[in-house]
Amino acid sequence: MASHAFIHWVRGLGLGIGPGVIALLAVVSTAAVLAWPRPERGGLEFWTFAPHHTRMYEPVIESWNQKAGSDHPDRQRVSLSTLSTGALAQRAQAGFWAQTPTADLIEVEQPMIGRFVAGPIDEVGFHDLTDRLREEGIDQRLNPASFAPWTSRGRVFGLPHDVHPVLLCYRADLVEAAGIDVDAIETWDDFERLMRPLIADLDGDGKNDRYLLGLWYTSLDDLQVLLLQAGGGTFDAEGGSLIASEANARVIARVVTWCLGPGRIAIDAPEFSPSGNQLKLEGRVVAALMPDWLAGVWINALPGLSGKLKLMPIPAWEPGGRRTSVRGGTMLAIPRTTRDFDAAWAFAKELYLSPDLARELFVTNHIISPIMDLWDEPYYAERSAYFSGQRSGLAYIEQALNVPPRSSSPFHQTAMQRILDTTARLHAYAQDNGVHDDQALLPEARRLLAQTEARVLEEMQRNVFIAGGWRR
Amino acid sequence: MSRRFRQHPAWVPYFWAGPFLLVFAVFLAYPMLLSVKMAFHQNAGPRVAEYVGTQNFSWMMGDPLFWTAVRNTAVFAAASVFIQLPASLGLALLLNRPQLRARGFWRAIFFAPVLVGLPFVAILAGLVFEKNTGLLNVALHEFTSLEVTLPRKIGGQTLGVPFTFDIEFPWLQSYVMPTLIISAFWMYVGFNMVYFLAALQNVDKSQLEAAEIDGANAWHRFVNVTLPAIRPVASFVVLLSLIGSFQLFELPYLLLQETAGPNNQGLTLVMYLYQQGFDRGDLGYASAVGWVLAIVLFGFAIAQQVYGRLRGADL
Amino acid sequence: MNTRARLTDAFLYAALAVFAVVTLVPFAYLLFSAFKSQESFFSFALWPTDGAWWQVDWGGFTVKHFRTLFVDAGVARATANSFFLASVTAVLATLCSAMCGYALAKYRFAGRGVLLWLVLGSLAVPAALLIAPGYQVAYWLGLLDSYAGLILPAMAPAFGVYLFRQAFISSMPDEMIEAARVDGCGEVRLFFTIALPMVRPMVGAFLLITYLATWNNFISPQIILQSQEMLPLSVFVAQLRGPYGTEYGLIMAGTLVAVAPVLVLFLLLQRDFIAGLTAGAVKG
Repeated sequence: MASHAFIHWVRGLGLGIGPGVIALLAVVSTAAVLAWPRPERGGLEFWTFAPHHTRMYEPVIESWNQKAGSDHPDRQRVSLSTLSTGALAQRAQAGFWAQTPTADLIEVEQPMIGRFVAGPIDEVGFHDLTDRLREEGIDQRLNPASFAPWTSRGRVFGLPHDVHPVLLCYRADLVEAAGIDVDAIETWDDFERLMRPLIADLDGDGKNDRYLLGLWYTSLDDLQVLLLQAGGGTFDAEGGSLIASEANARVIARVVTWCLGPGRIAIDAPEFSPSGNQLKLEGRVVAALMPDWLAGVWINALPGLSGKLKLMPIPAWEPGGRRTSVRGGTMLAIPRTTRDFDAAWAFAKELYLSPDLARELFVTNHIISPIMDLWDEPYYAERSAYFSGQRSGLAYIEQALNVPPRSSSPFHQTAMQRILDTTARLHAYAQDNGVHDDQALLPEARRLLAQTEARVLEEMQRNVFIAGGWRR
Repeated sequence: MSRRFRQHPAWVPYFWAGPFLLVFAVFLAYPMLLSVKMAFHQNAGPRVAEYVGTQNFSWMMGDPLFWTAVRNTAVFAAASVFIQLPASLGLALLLNRPQLRARGFWRAIFFAPVLVGLPFVAILAGLVFEKNTGLLNVALHEFTSLEVTLPRKIGGQTLGVPFTFDIEFPWLQSYVMPTLIISAFWMYVGFNMVYFLAALQNVDKSQLEAAEIDGANAWHRFVNVTLPAIRPVASFVVLLSLIGSFQLFELPYLLLQETAGPNNQGLTLVMYLYQQGFDRGDLGYASAVGWVLAIVLFGFAIAQQVYGRLRGADL
Repeated sequence: MNTRARLTDAFLYAALAVFAVVTLVPFAYLLFSAFKSQESFFSFALWPTDGAWWQVDWGGFTVKHFRTLFVDAGVARATANSFFLASVTAVLATLCSAMCGYALAKYRFAGRGVLLWLVLGSLAVPAALLIAPGYQVAYWLGLLDSYAGLILPAMAPAFGVYLFRQAFISSMPDEMIEAARVDGCGEVRLFFTIALPMVRPMVGAFLLITYLATWNNFISPQIILQSQEMLPLSVFVAQLRGPYGTEYGLIMAGTLVAVAPVLVLFLLLQRDFIAGLTAGAVKG
């Protein structure tokens, strides 16, 4: 054997066992890597970041693949891989930069879109779908707000997957046992006042361990939901800054008081974290902000809460205010390096626009389709055992058209991150100065947000490719 | 002058140095020169770049995030030098005791964590430091909750730790820097110990004995005999530790799930460089950050050399 | 043995034992977690029990994480990649730097001074400075998403050249080379059969140092590689947190798969390795 001879050769050098082992490893592993069967790269490659999407798409793809091939040139086999969010974003972007092939279809999550559209518009790695959507009338069939996050400088780069309205999910068992009438809750003030008796010290160690809201000031997602609901956020439809808006100041001041001091009502119970889930199962979280997809995640990951939960519109920031918001979102996009655009587009439409998938989307993941003419389908009106017999689908559809618009600015994510950092600074200020009242925090919140806004605008100005900044 | 007797052909040394030189030129020397040029450009990926003058540097100097990164990195480096290295030295002194048995066994134990590697230490620490369920909080909480009731004969009191460690202690939310410092301590304390242990072999035993006969106590013997003998190695280890600390990236990046952590508590200089270069695609700006980092590290290296010269101990 | 000496002894061993326990507990945590089901992961910090700590509940252990890793997630390929990248890089980098160190130590030639100066100078260049321009060069050379993009740049470590130059100067007398030449030994044979064995400890140590550094390298494969099947364990395990984010046992199993091979290898070869590590500092 060649490797055997090699060992003898290395021995002959008298270099000892260490080099021998490593030399042997080098030979064996080179052989292994060379001999490893290459993964099949036939047909279309499809990347997603969400395991629950994978579960849902697998049957659809299977039936697509059975019919693929002979009769129709656009029907090509599809192979799906699930990547971590970071890996998907990083690998797609690396491919765009180097102009090396990535996948033929990529699902993009809302927080990562900014990095893909941050260069010159003709450098965006995805096909511009604007004209196709208009020609085929697809833009008319889908919920208009759903396109916003995927639009940059007027061009649409993907097919939206969802609407993602947000409701408030609460422990009906606890709330009803305490005799609290949720219909009396219209605003966050009402929520705090009426629910407060549920804060409890469950293990009797003198410290509270049940709180009203599962959210935390360090969570960008939670904060964004509340900012958008209140009419704040990062940028408006015309690109004007909302960073230092009064709505933002009010929300961040309030969120800080929720996490601190005597007014604390929140507990940090993050999603997708076993420790966060543990807190929910232990009954230490009374209510949580719940987009439709998260309802699906809970149904699958927290079956122990079945029959204990109900949904209601989110408390408003003022009487008559918006009772929903939006969180997350996905688009299906086609990289320019795809081997076959028509085949990818055919599959994209089949996957995202088929009534079957819309049904599957709801039944397996509790996600509302963005296709408005399907909203009358009977499955949305079925009673959910998980949500204590409520018609949970309809509850989301009722709020679907009230979903606030989102910015599509390439700087949206940066701005959001800066607002989150500002919130952390406000939290530190409140802690250091013992300020536990949101009205008293407002001036500092305004001051910090104004600083943040100035900084973000400067940063935008600096971008040569979008703002043409440096030359001016 | 046997060399004249039989010479090697002139090409031989170039043959030996050739492979290194080629790779060195393409992957080190050229990128280094290139990065000077890149530092004056703004990029959107490797294909699109525009000249922006010195704006990258002026923006950096005015960027609060950059200064956050500098501060975090400096705090981490200071902890490495002032907490971790003294502990390594202490451990080395313990292992250097002449009466110690199974020295190799102890050394292997303390050395093992560095083999785990930064990315994997980060992933492990991500679970160990989690609140409510992480090993550290659970262990500290349990230990501080322990109570011992004494037999009635000696009073019958219940003894316990006067405080109970909060099981919700938010390491990864509010104490990111201590988390990083503790993780790095675990990983590197035994690694640096090995250097000190080797250096302690240079200490002249007869001098130590002479000092002991003269009545010098342990501390004086350490300061007057041991420390001067290990000073060259110690200053080398300090330099290595500073260089390593200033390039901290994987540990916070993977510990904090590919973010800089709440309020950028875990943002380091190299993470800042990575975010700018590879999340935003501005390779030019990343090069500028790289140069600022390099200049700081050159400064440390020069300082170490100067210190060595002043001490008369040439490294 | 007097009482005082006995006391110091007791203190010495107690201090070392405490430190050793603190050092080892995370390893135990890693090992147990990799084999625990989700329920026992949350109920027990180390091993699952029925009641007292010595009543081990064997039912709380599972190997299903490893099944998932090897059958579904493809960790075998990532492990092969790690072995491949680490060992091939180690062999090539050691060879390259031994050759150059040999030239610098044992030959006089035009440009030698410049080369020596370059090697010593580049010891001060931090790796972070080369991340962005290195990526740019890899793009221009078409090395992105290839093993060559990782192995080639790692083949010329200035630190290695410096170490080997020192080793050749201190442990190989010039007379030996002269004698070999007089005997008619060719230059290539001279290097491989006479020179290299003379610096044997350095060869062993530098191989191991490079092997470990490559195995645990994260940032280079993260930016250079793109295809799933090429990723080494460092990137692969970090990416497990996406699709398997809620399965802590699986993440720990992945970490164990990544850590165990080097741990075993290096604890076996400890002495070589440590000798080389300290050579730079102590002899330098």
